[in-house]
Order: sequence, then C-alpha cells, then structure tokens
Amino acid sequence: MTALTLGFIPLTDCAPLMVAREKGFFSDEGLAVSLSREASWATLRDKVVFGALDGAHMLGPMAIAATLAADRPSAAMIAPMALNRNGAGITVSTALAEQMRERPLAAVIAARRAAGAPPLTFAVVFPFSIHNYALRDWLVAAGVDPDRDVSIVVVPPPRMVEQLADGRIDGFCVGAPWNAVAMATGAGEVQATTSTLLPGAPDKVLGVSGAWMSRDQRPLDGLLRALTRAGVWADARENREELAALLSRPDAVGVPAAAIARALDNEIVFQADGASVPSQADALWILSQMQRWEQLAAGVDVAAIAARVYRADLLEKALAGPR
Amino acid sequence: MRVLVIDPDPARAALVAEGLAGVDPLEVRQSATFDAAEAVRFAPDVIVIACDSPDRDTLESLREATQANPRPIVMFADRSEPGLAEQAVRAGVAAYVVDGLAPGRVRSVLDVAMTRFSLMQQLRGDLARAKADLESRKTIDRAKGLLMKERGLDEAAAYGLLRKLAMDKGRPIGAVAADLLAFAGILKGDGS
Repeated sequence: MTALTLGFIPLTDCAPLMVAREKGFFSDEGLAVSLSREASWATLRDKVVFGALDGAHMLGPMAIAATLAADRPSAAMIAPMALNRNGAGITVSTALAEQMRERPLAAVIAARRAAGAPPLTFAVVFPFSIHNYALRDWLVAAGVDPDRDVSIVVVPPPRMVEQLADGRIDGFCVGAPWNAVAMATGAGEVQATTSTLLPGAPDKVLGVSGAWMSRDQRPLDGLLRALTRAGVWADARENREELAALLSRPDAVGVPAAAIARALDNEIVFQADGASVPSQADALWILSQMQRWEQLAAGVDVAAIAARVYRADLLEKALAGPR
Repeated sequence: MRVLVIDPDPARAALVAEGLAGVDPLEVRQSATFDAAEAVRFAPDVIVIACDSPDRDTLESLREATQANPRPIVMFADRSEPGLAEQAVRAGVAAYVVDGLAPGRVRSVLDVAMTRFSLMQQLRGDLARAKADLESRKTIDRAKGLLMKERGLDEAAAYGLLRKLAMDKGRPIGAVAADLLAFAGILKGDGS
C-alpha cells in the first residue's frame, strides 16, 4: 500500500475524495489515502507546494495562478483531473432580496449612493475562483461595475452564511451546499446558479505539485482511476441519498444531509459527459477571465500555461493503464 | 513596528504576542479573526496568522490589488527570504508583510512565532500524555483489583502477574490491563 494524504475544503464538490475512501476505490488501487480537512485555500495550496499534502481538492483558477507565481518547481501545479462542474450559486441577504423585488440591483445601488450609504459588499471564496468570475458576470449583466459600484471581499465557504446573517456581507457566490444552507436558515435567497450563468464551467480540480512529474507516477495513476470511479458513483442518481449522508458527516462537510441533497438534485456533475476531463478549453477560459479582471500580467503565454497546468493526457494515460 | 497576530486559539495567540513583546520595540495586537476595517486602523507592518485560521484567504485577496481597486500591497513573507515560508507553514504559521519591511525584521518576528507555536504544541502534547498516563494508571489499578479479588492475590502479586502478561505479549501494561477488564466484562455478560 502506498500512503498518500489529500487535502480538501468542506464543500459538496469534495465528493469524489470522500466516495473513493468510503467505497474502497483507493485501496483497490493499492493506496492508503488519508483526507485532511483544511481551513483555507491558501494553506491547502502551501501544503501541496511544501509536500505536506500529496494533492488536493483545489480551485482550478488557483492551480493556474499558483503556477504563474511559482518560484520553484513544486509550486507549479498540475491539474490531471477535474472534480466537478456546476453546483455554485449567488445568494443575497433577505433584506437585499426584498429591495431587489422593488427595483433592479443597479437602482438599489444608485439609491444607496445617493443616500450616502456604504457600498454593498459581496463575498467570493478566493480571488482566483470561478465564483469570483461568476459574481462579476452577474453584476455586469445587472449594469453594475464590480470594481467601482460594490466591494468584493474574500470569505471562506463555511463562514459565508454566518456573515450574511450578521449583515457583514450583503451577498456571496459560493459552492454547494452553502447557498442551500443560507436558504434553509432564512439568511438569504438564491438569485442565480452557475449552472445557468456559466453552464459547465470548470470548477474544482485535483491539484498536485509539479514535483510529481519526477516521482514514480503509478500512485498518481491509481489516484486518478479511483477518483474517476468515485465520480461515476457520485453521479448515479440512485446513490445520491447515500452521498448526501456521507458528505453530511462532521469530518466531511458537516451540514444536514437535506441541504446537501438539494444541490445534488439538479446541478452538480462530477464525471458524466467528460466533466472530469481537464481540457485546454477550460484552462484557456479561466485565463481569459483572469485577463478580463486584471489578474494576469501582460505578456503571459496563455496557451503554454494552459498546456502546462491542465493535463488531460495524464488522466488518459491513467485510465488506459492496468489496475 | 506593529504586528497583528490572528489566531483562532486565543491561548496560543497570547503566547506569540507575549514572546514578540520582548523582541523589538513594537506594538502587538491579537485577534481571533481578521477584520479588514480594524486592520486598516491598526496599520500593521506584519500580520502573523495561524495556518488553521480560515482568514488566510481573506489576506491572500489583499495581495491581489488591481489598478481599479487599490488596496494595501501585502505580500507573503517568502519573497523576503526563501525557505522561511516553508519552515513557517510547517510550524503552522504564516506571515504577511506590508511591502518595504526589512527582511531581517520579518525573520525575527517569524522566529518568535514559530518557537511559540512549537512550544504550545509541546505543552498540549505533554498534557495529553499526562492525561493518558493517568487513565492508564487507573486502568491498571482496576485490573489489579480484579485480579486480587478473583485470584486471591495480594497487590504486589497482582501487579507482577500483569507485568508478566505484558512482557509475554510484548504490549504495554496499560493495554493488557484494559483487555483484562474488557474480557471480565464480557464474561459477566455486559459486553455483548
């Protein structure tokens, strides 16, 4: 057995990791995998870079951003597999939802400005995340300038609902199950989901350090096969009740199964229809968003970066290999 | 120099703050969570943050200042001294410095933070071990009592028997005592 440690953040889309452990898919590949729940994306990334984690459930844009900033080979990330598409959503506070029933968001913001009130504050999970890009798209579509008309801050997923309820933020874009949790607790109302805003947009990936490329890759191949089987299992409708119960455990996401089940019902895809393939189109789309929102330095060879980070060839090789 | 210590564990934060107070003429403030407005008022030169604080992501976002949205430029301590960040993250602490601070000063702050983090870890470890030792002694005493009652041994003989069992099986005496108590429970019918 090869011992590996993988990091995750408490979100529905960590499902492939949980399922592979629970269903014995890792051990079928000769892997003894322990899962480590991390408190922040930054710490998760640093632990991958410094080798304290062998891989992690990671924001796709974070894998690209870390590679662009890499000062050593182990800081360059590789995404050999995508973990999910869809499942995130935009929620606003009950108070803001009330105002938005009377007039559009842009008018609410104009009225606040006229009254001398501070700008509305929206939260995303990380600067490099599809949640940041989806929120910005949604604001632009409503005639709002994301940089000038509102304030966008970063809040870790498990704290979103509490901050919305406290009034510290007025809205957020976050992955499942936190939108459903906000609805269930009455803290907010869901306004849009990424499945309609950015259908099929690439979200989380399995992120591993570039250092893997000089290691024995057989454990990585096994990991990819185990997570693929887990994705198939998690997509199957008949397993969804069991999946929601598994994710609701305190050492996983730790929220009631009902809230998790809601987001599973109609949106999130793990493996079906090529969802787990980290395609060049995905990486290029992410890079275009980074460019659009001034997160990318001038002169970056986007095609080269996309090819370096999003490595569908590694998944293909692993799936062709023997068990 | 002003240092802000963010740590969800107040005892550990206090330990770090106390350690820093002796290092340099500086002002230290500690908080369980990061509050951006509060941080702007305090204007720290260095922010030391526990790796198990979820607020690290909020601090990361402050590094991503754009032209359209000017914010204080904060950078991860690694850029001032290679290898320091790895050492710190392994110790469970990260540091963000406001651009322009001398690397040597960052180093001294982080050294204290890392030392205090490992001190706290040792304290907690010692405490956990002391608790486990106490538990194990209680278990041994109970197993001894059982042997004295059931086999009519005196205390020294009962302990001798436990020790022999432990040596024969190559297991700690506390574990053998726990097994004995568990089996006795099953034989009495309360272990099913």
